[in-house]
Amino acid sequence: MENNIRIMVVDDEPIVGKRLKQTLEKDGYVVEAFTDSLIATNEFEKNPFDIIITDLKMEKIDGMNILENVKRKNPDTKVIIITGVGKWLTATEAFEKGAFDFIIKPFKLDEIRDVVQRAVKDLST
Amino acid sequence: MRLKIWHKMIIGIAIPSLIVVLGSLINYGYISDTENRQRYVLIADDLKEHVLEVRRNEKNFFHFKNADYLHNLQSEISTLATSVKHISPKAVEEIGKEEFALFNETLNAYANLLNDLYESYQQESQVVEEVRAEGRELETLVSQGKLSQEITTSFILHLRLLEKNYMLFRDKKSFNELNNRLKQIRNVTPFCYRCNPYIAAINNLFSTYNKSDALANKIQDTGNSLEVITGKIVVREREKIGVFFTKTKRLLVIALIILCTVGPLLVYKTASYIVAPIKRLAEITEKIAEGDLTQRAPLREHDETYSLSTSFNTMLDHLQLTHDSLEHSLQLLHQKQAQLVESEKRATLGLLVSGVAHELNNPLNNISLTAETMREGLEEFSREELDDYIKDILSQSERAHNIVENLLDFARARRSTIMEKQDIIRIVKESFHLVANQLRINNIKLEQHIPDIALFVKGNRSKLEQILVSIFTNAIQAMKTDGTLTVRVTQESENKNILIKIHDTGPGISENDIKNIFEPFFTTKPVGEGTGLGLSVSRSLVMEHKGELRVESTLDKGTTFIITLPPFEVTS
Repeated sequence: MENNIRIMVVDDEPIVGKRLKQTLEKDGYVVEAFTDSLIATNEFEKNPFDIIITDLKMEKIDGMNILENVKRKNPDTKVIIITGVGKWLTATEAFEKGAFDFIIKPFKLDEIRDVVQRAVKDLST
Repeated sequence: MRLKIWHKMIIGIAIPSLIVVLGSLINYGYISDTENRQRYVLIADDLKEHVLEVRRNEKNFFHFKNADYLHNLQSEISTLATSVKHISPKAVEEIGKEEFALFNETLNAYANLLNDLYESYQQESQVVEEVRAEGRELETLVSQGKLSQEITTSFILHLRLLEKNYMLFRDKKSFNELNNRLKQIRNVTPFCYRCNPYIAAINNLFSTYNKSDALANKIQDTGNSLEVITGKIVVREREKIGVFFTKTKRLLVIALIILCTVGPLLVYKTASYIVAPIKRLAEITEKIAEGDLTQRAPLREHDETYSLSTSFNTMLDHLQLTHDSLEHSLQLLHQKQAQLVESEKRATLGLLVSGVAHELNNPLNNISLTAETMREGLEEFSREELDDYIKDILSQSERAHNIVENLLDFARARRSTIMEKQDIIRIVKESFHLVANQLRINNIKLEQHIPDIALFVKGNRSKLEQILVSIFTNAIQAMKTDGTLTVRVTQESENKNILIKIHDTGPGISENDIKNIFEPFFTTKPVGEGTGLGLSVSRSLVMEHKGELRVESTLDKGTTFIITLPPFEVTS
């Protein structure tokens, strides 16, 4: 069933996208990674994703905007926010806008896996 | 002197005024006395005139010897007596009681003598008739020859002539001639009985005349006495008036002299008494103005300046206290300011450190992610894949290393205070690295208009960086997100000054705030987010570089900070 889950990773750090794609694909998800948030936005406008993992601070369109756009387009999509700035205000704002959860840099692969699994479980209910 | 100023003033004014008033009062008294005296002079003159009138009538009476003239004279006397009686007792008292007593006595004596004289005159006419009758008898006897032969008719006629002369002239010569003739008769006829009545009548005439003459002399003497008395009174009254005038004049002169000498002296003394304490206060005020706060006003006079001096001293005490506490506060302020400048430095440093930490977060995250991935699939990876992983780890380590190196450079540079030749272009460019993270986080575009040459200034690297970072940070915070920071470096052709213009597209600064923007502790940021020292410290740092920091701002358009720095000169 996990083969059907489509995950998008957006982070201007290319290594983050590369590693998450490798790891999550190994776990059986369909993963697409983007470093450019504008291209990523265009992509999910065309093809909806089940889960979107996005960095918060980026040039052009930041994570908060992506969250808003995704939730407007497809409210069922789970959005997981990655950020280096562990600020409560940002977290609260993101939760209010419908973010699924937060991951703070630097993070372990197991943290990602755990959040993604919870998101998948949430999707199926 | 324990006198109040107004007491002194009153004394100064009152004493001369008192002199004037006293002098005037005394003179007034003298003048009214003189007026009274003038009345007494009139009375005396009146008396004298009456006396002269009496004397005139007296002469007439002597001359005509009849009752009419006696009446005139008596009525004059009684008029005189009445007018004397009508003189007020006070006037009598003033003019002289004794004089009046003497005058009245003399007047009475005079009147009595007149009556005596009148009687004597009446007697005289009887005697004259008798003499004439006896003469005529004698003439008859001679013509009848009844007398002795020695006595002839011519002799008798001559005798009668002598008799008439004597009656007419009543003088010594005619008396002697008549007396000699009578003696001749006695010598010629010692026993001429018929002659005796005539001789007796003549002798009677002699005695009557003598009596009258004696009376007349007495009357004249008394009259003269009256004249003398009244004359004396008149003279004395005139003299008295003269004395009053002299007194008045003398008093006026004395008052004037006193006023001219004592008056100015008193005024001078009063003025100096009043001015002296004020002068002392003024001197002390001058000393205080020169900075000697230990001076105090002396508390000598117990007048109005006493309370002035005490309040003055109290004020000085307060002033000294305030001065001391202000000095203390100033010291404290200097300390605090130094502390705050230091804390501002730390805040800037803190901002940089947090930026650096954030910056380090990414390569660290990349390294740890890569390492984890490698561990999880170590057996499955091909040689190429592993190379790729290791390359990633190395590049991210290098990235982290560079960041740390930058921070160390910055920290080393901060400790130096040396002013030396610096390329401002390089410093500006390197400052961008220090705020790169802030720019990125806030999504702010950086536009650079920086010439591709070196421009040198004399300065301290870390201080110049601090200025730039502070202003950049300020601009970034003003724009919040999605703005453009434009940095333009130019050199003025005229004086070679270097201009660094830092423009933001923030909301601008209101006219009210722009006045205070360089004041220490002025901040528009919420409490706790800014020390309010950034721009103030920046400006003082720019001034340390002999430069100038200005600001231009338009509401809703943005703000431009302009740093002007003098160019590096070989001689300096």
